[in-house]
Amino acid sequence: MTRRQLDARAGVALLAPALAALAALAAWPGVWVLWLSLQKRIPIFGIDRFVGVAHYAFLGGDARFWNAVRVTLVFTVVSVALELVLGVAVALGLQRQHRGRRLTMALLLLPWALPSVVVGRTFEWLYHPSAGLVNFILGARAINWLGEPALTLPALIVADVWRTMPFVALLCYARVLTIPAAVYEAARVDGAGRLATLRDVTLPLLRRVLLIALLFRTLDALRAFDLMFVLTGGGPANTTETLTVYAYRSLFQTLQLGLGAAIGVVVFALVMLVAWAYLRAVGRTEVTA
Amino acid sequence: MRPNRLRWLPAEITTERCAVVIALAILLVGCTPGASEREPITLVFKHAKILGPADPVPDLLREFEKRHVGVRVKAESLSWNSDDQHQFFVINLEGRGAAFDVMMLDVVWVAEFARAGWLLDLRPWVPPAELTPHFPSTVEPATWNGGVWALPWLMNVGVLYYRTDLLARNALAPPRTWEELVAQIVRIRAAEADPRLDGVVWQGRQYEGLTVNALEAMWANGARVLADDGRPLPDPERTADALAFLRRLITSGASPSWVTAADEELSRRHFGDGRAIFLRNWPYAMDLFRQPGSLVRGKVAIAPLPGRAGVADGVGSSGGAHLGVDRRTRHPELAAALVRFLAGAAAQKTMSERGALNPTRMALYHDPDVVRAHPDFPVVYELMLRARPRPVTPYYLMLSTTLQPEFSAALVGVKSPHDAVAHARRQLAYLLEGLQ
Repeated sequence: MTRRQLDARAGVALLAPALAALAALAAWPGVWVLWLSLQKRIPIFGIDRFVGVAHYAFLGGDARFWNAVRVTLVFTVVSVALELVLGVAVALGLQRQHRGRRLTMALLLLPWALPSVVVGRTFEWLYHPSAGLVNFILGARAINWLGEPALTLPALIVADVWRTMPFVALLCYARVLTIPAAVYEAARVDGAGRLATLRDVTLPLLRRVLLIALLFRTLDALRAFDLMFVLTGGGPANTTETLTVYAYRSLFQTLQLGLGAAIGVVVFALVMLVAWAYLRAVGRTEVTA
Repeated sequence: MRPNRLRWLPAEITTERCAVVIALAILLVGCTPGASEREPITLVFKHAKILGPADPVPDLLREFEKRHVGVRVKAESLSWNSDDQHQFFVINLEGRGAAFDVMMLDVVWVAEFARAGWLLDLRPWVPPAELTPHFPSTVEPATWNGGVWALPWLMNVGVLYYRTDLLARNALAPPRTWEELVAQIVRIRAAEADPRLDGVVWQGRQYEGLTVNALEAMWANGARVLADDGRPLPDPERTADALAFLRRLITSGASPSWVTAADEELSRRHFGDGRAIFLRNWPYAMDLFRQPGSLVRGKVAIAPLPGRAGVADGVGSSGGAHLGVDRRTRHPELAAALVRFLAGAAAQKTMSERGALNPTRMALYHDPDVVRAHPDFPVVYELMLRARPRPVTPYYLMLSTTLQPEFSAALVGVKSPHDAVAHARRQLAYLLEGLQ
């Protein structure tokens, strides 16, 4: 056996545990959920039969499903956009801050470190119609944050931004620290103003880290579940029911396992699509950078 | 079989014989009763976290152990969230290895779990007469489809709380109809001139509580959820009118707009802060209103839920918990004994004396010891006696979770009540097709 063959064989042997773990933990459950989504399975009624793509056909004409898709996309686009803008702003503010940086960092980390159910309960109190801080600050008018269709999704987005903006801010801040001062000096010498420096120096340098933050945050937001579940249960009138909340209700409340699995598969496909698009975008920046 | 074993395994027989001789010897000497020679049996009791100042369950279980030598009962508590409990039971009962024998079930799951074949039919151990001391609305779910799937344990009923001081100042008696209630709100608010005083608060958030509140509004308006033949929402006009009435409570200002986000606690606190004249809630709230330091202490009383003028009397929805046995338990006899013990008169009395829990046994509502701890029990008794269960059907959760978004849409004005009812009927017809 040649040296090359031996190396190849060792390589396969070394890869095997990782591949086996991936197959057992990711691929197998994935395949199983896909298979389940092709069955009509409602254990309570003893229903268990193969129905092919019937669930997907049903979802295609299901107003509740399309509403959930819309809610999920609106939530994702708006919350991720706000998180990125605010995250960059906070990172740059942090860069310029000279005293108390550690304290700021610690405060910044706090929302990110809190369990999401705690965040949910905190905001439940903040949004409390008669005793909540938000309404108190706004002048004691009882604004119905979690019960008015037009306000509830924005209220949830604010809570999500509060919770995850620090993640983006810290990622960007770490990158900002590695930008040499000489780059900014050069920009100043060239006569670049503040805005021009931000647009032509800082943001291009942040580009890759922003793409990574975007990827993480988008994938998370597409699977948003906990805030809706704790704060509104998807209401009022399903205006905050995301795809994952719909899947949960089908799977664990009404026990329509096949239908719930089909919604899960849709979420999975959505997430994969977004991940693929981002990875391509990241690949391109690596080539051009 | 037996001769074969004799020939093939003579050694085993010798040991068996030895064992018999030894056992006989022990019995003859009269050392210990037979039960404790075996391994101690452990029963696992899964229950929701018992809320309230004191948890009387552990003491009751010790009492049961004392009566059944060689039996241990391990109580394992689940989260207080009903959705979480349902999820836990479904996963464990549908999967192979259930690790519990006795479970505390929300009353609306009993038919569902029985239909799924997860509950042991208790008829061999529970004579029919054992159910008669419980409120009728708790017996109906327990005996779905002719079996005895669970025993009633804790009882709940929707009631109307009202501020006695405000009504008395304006020479008013508790309202019998919703129309009267709205008129009283207008009158009291004009007289009190307190802009912070709301009228009636209830539960309109999109969750099970909304189903209950909407059902009560439907019943008061003569509408049913399921027809006798199982058709959903057989009275669309009356149902839409009930939803329209709830919506009008909000638009007219009789209820604050945030009732569309309110659950039991949100509405209970608001009323407890003295900020509302009426409250729809369960009896547990009374214990909290009576606490020293409560802003409404001594100013609150309970009345039946109002009906609709000229249509029907008000009826409270019943709620509560039942005790059932996992069908795959290895100790059906003992598990049934534990359920009978906990649902028995003595145990229920202890629970209601020491905890903020309402028993399902009717006699306890006039028991002097219990009434001392809960002075409103005689009033609550009347309401519980008339309470109506939510539809007793295996697909209750499917029904309720389908209705919630539609009811919610009608309350917040996203859909007209007629559209909401039409959409709900269409979806239910689709879902229930092929299940019945």
